[in-house]
Amino acid sequence: MIRFLLRPGVRRVFRLPLRTSAAIQSDADAELESLIASRVEHLIARGMSPSDARDEALRRLGPSLEETRLQLHESAEHRERRMGIHEHVENLVQDIRYAARGLARRPAFTAVAVATLAIGIGATTAIFSAVNALILRPLPYAKPDELMKLTLVTPTVGDKKGRDDVVWSYPKFRLFRDAQQSFSEISAYAGQPFVLTSGDVERVTGEFVGATYLRTLGLRPIIGRDFDPAIDALTKAPMEVLIGTTLWERRFNADRSVIGRTLGVDRQLYTIIGVAPRGFKGLTGQAELFLPVAASNAEQLAEAQSYWLEVVARRKANVSPARVEAEMIALGKRMSEVYPDNFAGRPWGAHSILLDEARVAPVVKRSLLILFGAVGFVLLIACVNVANLQLGRASGRRREIAVRMAIGAGRSRVVRLLITESVLLAFLGGLVALIVAWIGAHALSTVSPEITARVGRSTIGAVDFALIRLDWTAMAFTFAVALSIGVLFGLAPALGATRSTLSNTLKHGDADGHAGVLSAFTGRSLLVVVEVALALVLLAGSGLMIRSLTKMLAIDTGFDPAHVLTLRLTVPEGGMARDSLPGFYTQLVQRLRAVPGVTNASLGSCPPLSGGCNRTLLTFPGQPDPDFAHRPLTGVNWASPDYFATLHIPLKRGRMITDADHFGGPKVVLINEAGARTLWPNENPVGKRVKIGQGGFDGGDGAEIVGVVGDTRQFVDSAERTDVFLPYAQSPRAGMFVFVRSTRDVASLGPEVRSAIHEVAPSFAIYDMQTMSARAAGATAQARFSAVLLALFAVTALSLAAIGIYGVMSLAVAARTREIGIRIALGADQRRVQRLVVSQGVTLVAVGAAIGIVGALLCTRVLQTLLYDLKPSDPVTYGGAAGTHGNDGELAPCASCGARRSGCRVEERLIYGGTVERWNGGTRC
Amino acid sequence: MALLKGTLDVLVLKTLSWTPMHAFEITTWLEERSAGRLLVEDAALLQALHRMEERKLLAAEWGVTKNGRRARYYRLTTTGRAHLRAESERLVDHFDALTTVLASKKA
Repeated sequence: MIRFLLRPGVRRVFRLPLRTSAAIQSDADAELESLIASRVEHLIARGMSPSDARDEALRRLGPSLEETRLQLHESAEHRERRMGIHEHVENLVQDIRYAARGLARRPAFTAVAVATLAIGIGATTAIFSAVNALILRPLPYAKPDELMKLTLVTPTVGDKKGRDDVVWSYPKFRLFRDAQQSFSEISAYAGQPFVLTSGDVERVTGEFVGATYLRTLGLRPIIGRDFDPAIDALTKAPMEVLIGTTLWERRFNADRSVIGRTLGVDRQLYTIIGVAPRGFKGLTGQAELFLPVAASNAEQLAEAQSYWLEVVARRKANVSPARVEAEMIALGKRMSEVYPDNFAGRPWGAHSILLDEARVAPVVKRSLLILFGAVGFVLLIACVNVANLQLGRASGRRREIAVRMAIGAGRSRVVRLLITESVLLAFLGGLVALIVAWIGAHALSTVSPEITARVGRSTIGAVDFALIRLDWTAMAFTFAVALSIGVLFGLAPALGATRSTLSNTLKHGDADGHAGVLSAFTGRSLLVVVEVALALVLLAGSGLMIRSLTKMLAIDTGFDPAHVLTLRLTVPEGGMARDSLPGFYTQLVQRLRAVPGVTNASLGSCPPLSGGCNRTLLTFPGQPDPDFAHRPLTGVNWASPDYFATLHIPLKRGRMITDADHFGGPKVVLINEAGARTLWPNENPVGKRVKIGQGGFDGGDGAEIVGVVGDTRQFVDSAERTDVFLPYAQSPRAGMFVFVRSTRDVASLGPEVRSAIHEVAPSFAIYDMQTMSARAAGATAQARFSAVLLALFAVTALSLAAIGIYGVMSLAVAARTREIGIRIALGADQRRVQRLVVSQGVTLVAVGAAIGIVGALLCTRVLQTLLYDLKPSDPVTYGGAAGTHGNDGELAPCASCGARRSGCRVEERLIYGGTVERWNGGTRC
Repeated sequence: MALLKGTLDVLVLKTLSWTPMHAFEITTWLEERSAGRLLVEDAALLQALHRMEERKLLAAEWGVTKNGRRARYYRLTTTGRAHLRAESERLVDHFDALTTVLASKKA
C-alpha cells in the first residue's frame, strides 16, 4: 500500500522497481528534462541567452518536444516490461533450483510426499476418466440431446406398482411409430445372439433393428448403404444385413468388396449391404451385425403381448419435452385400446427419457460417483499430510526467512519461494500420478459390459467401459489438481511463516515466541483433526461395504457350483423337428454321461445366479382365472431329470421328474420351496395342479406338481421368489444349457465334452463354455471389485492418517523441547509433563474421531443403495472403525514420547502399538 | 551527415567504456571527439539507451551530476563490453574494406 503513495523520486532513491505506467512515464520525462536542462546550462555557460539556449536545446531533440516525450514513454515502457519479465523468469528459475536442491537434500521426505500425492492424484484421475467416459462425455451421435429412449409404462394395480421401463412389442411399436408426431426419426432394436453358419461356425451377438436405426442415431455406414426405410412396412423383409467393423475385419479381412457377398446367419443367407461405423456396436454395446426386425420370428412379431423391443427416437427440434410426454401418454392409451391387455382395462402409458440419462445402469453410475468421493477423500488426506509436513518445514526455516526479508526480499518474493517447493512437489507427484492413473484407467476399462448388464437393465453400448482411457481432459485435470494442491497447501504455511516480525524471530530463533508456536500448532492441530475425521469416514464406509459383501457371499445360494462345467447349445432353426427333440435330449445326456469322469449330465434353461430368465404367470385349474394383475408371478425354467442332482439342489418333497415323464404324457412340474410357501402356505403342494403361462402348460388341466425342490438364488441380493421347473421332454425347446458334473478337474473336460456333443449333434453351435463357479463368480464381480477398491482406499487413508498424526505430534513436541526441559528443570513431575503432552495428542484424535463418526453417519446414507441387508449405522462396523482409531490415539502419546529425546534420555520405544503403561515405566531423566 | 544505421549503438558503448555517463555527457563526448562531425539527435539517443538497457548491454542508475542535478547514469555491463569488442572489430573491418575499395586508383 505504502508503495503506491511513494513519489517517483523517492522510489528512485530507494531503487524500488517501477511498476505502474505513470511511474515509468514520469521517470522518462525526468530523464528528458535532465538532458534538456544540462544542455541549456552548457549553452548558457558558452554565452547564449537563456531563451536562445532553450530553443537550441529543444531543436537538438530532433522531433518536437511532445513527440519526443511520447516516443520516450513508449521506449521506456517497453524496456520496463521486458526487463520485468526477465527478472521474473530469472527469479522463477532461481526458486525452482533452490526448491529442487532443498527436496534433494531430504530424499526420504520427498519420496514419501511424491508417492502420497501420486497415489492420491493418480487414483482421482483414473476415476475421473471413468466418470468422464461413462457419464460426462456427450454421446457420440449427432445432436445427442435430441435422442430419447422410449419405454412403456404399466399401470399401478392395487398395491402392485407399475413400471416405467417396460420394453415394447412389435405391434404396439408399429402403432406408435405410425401415429407419433413428436419425433423425426424412430427405430426399434433388440439384442440377440446369432450363429454364423457360413464358413466357420461362430456365435456372435447382434441386434434386430428397424430400418431407420442408423439414421436415427445420425450415423452412416462407412461402406455400402443403409437399410431402405421402406422395408419396415413390408411383412417379409429383404434378406439384408449390416455388419459391424469388427466382424468385417475378422471374417472378411476388411475387404472392401464385401458388399453384395452373402453371410449365413442362423442357417439363412443374407446379403451384406453395408458396414457400420467403427466402434459402433449398437445401443446394446455388443452387436456385431444388424438384421432388420422383420427377419425375426414371425410369431413374435405378430404377438402384441410379446415384449422384447427397445425403442430409440430423435425428438423434433421444435417440440418441447412436455409435448412429447403428453403425446406419449395419449398414444399409450390408444395402444391399450387397440391391443387390449391384461390390466383390467387400465391403460398403459409411454415414457421417454433422454438417451443420455439411460446410458449407464444407475447402479454403475452411483458406484462410480461413490468411488470418486472415496478417492477424493484419500487425496484430501494425502494433501493434508503434505501440508502438515510443509508447515513443519516452514517453521523450521523461520530464521532463514527472517534474514531474507531483512536484506530486502519482499514478502511476496519469499512466499513465492516457499510455494515453489510445494508446487514442485505437487508437480512431481502429478507426473508420477500419470503412471498410476494410466494403470487405474486401464484396469477400469477392463470391467466387462457383462457385469454391468447383469446388474441393471441394458446399458447403452456407446459408453462401454472400454472407452475409459487416459485422455487429454484427464491429464489436464491431473495437473490442475496438482497445481492447486501445491499452491493451496503451500500458501497457508508460507503466509504464516512470513508474518511474524523480524525482530521477534531473530531474537528467539527457531523456537520462536509463544505466540508463533501456538498459531502454528493450532494450524497443525486442525489438520490432524481433519485427517482423523476423513480417515474415519473412509474406514467406516469401506467397512460397511466389506461387511455387506461378506454377507452377500455367505448366503446360501441353494446349489453347489464346484466341479460343474456348463455350456450353451442351440438347435438351429429347422435343424430338428420338435417331436424329435426329446429323443435328442436323451441321446445327448447319455453320451455325455459316457465321458470318463462324468457323474451327472443334464440340461437346464437358466443357471442359478444368472439374473433370472423367463417369468410368467400362474393360474389354477378349476378356479376362474383372475385378471393378469392378480395372477402370481413365477420364474419358469426347463430342466432335464438329472438337473437337480448335477447342481446338488435338494429334493424336499414328493419326487423328481424322470424319463418316465415323457413327451405327450401327463404334464408334471416341480416347484421350489419359496413358491410352495407362497402359494400353499400350510399345505403340501404335491398333487396340486397349476397352469403355467408358457411352454404349452397353460391349457386344460394344467400340470401336476410332483415335487418340491430347494430354492436357488437368481441374483446375489434378491429376495426369494417362486420358480417352477418344466421337463424338457414334455416342453421341448431349441436353446439349452448343458451341465456336466465330474470327479475330474472340470476345466480340462472341455474338449471331451465338445467332441461328445459333436457326435450326437454335428452342426449345432456350442458356445459360452465356462465352469459353473466362474459363472457364479461373475454375479458378485462388481460388488467385489468395489469393495476391494474401497478397502484399499481405507487402508491407504488409515496409514496416511497415522503417519500424519505421528508427524504432527513429533514436530509439536520438538518445538516445545525447550519448554519441556524448563518445566522439568523447575521440578515438575515427569509424569505430569508427559501426561500434558500426551493428553493434547489424545484430545486431537478424540475430536477428530467424534467429527469423523458424525461425518461417516451422514456419508453412509449414500451407501445405502449399494448395501445388502445392512443398515448404514451398523454398530459392529462403527465400533470397529472407532477401535482402530483408538489405536491411533495410543499412537499419539507414543509419538510424543518417541520424540522427546532431547529433554531426557528416553530409550527408544516401539512406537506403534505401544500403550501408556509401557512408556511410563521406561523413561529415565 | 546522418549516422549510418546500426552504428549508434557501438558508438555509445564505446563512449561508455571508460566511465558511466548520462545522456548529455554521451552526446557531448561524441560531438567533441568527432570534431563536430557526429551530431546525434537527443530523442534517438535516449531511445537507443533504453533499448540497450533492455538488452542488458547497459545498466542504468539515477545519480547526481557535479552540478547537483539529478541525472540517469548509464554504465557498461560485462555483456555490453563483450558486445562492444565484437561489434567494433566487425565495423572497423567493414569500413576498412569499404575504404580500400573506394580508395583504389585503378580498375
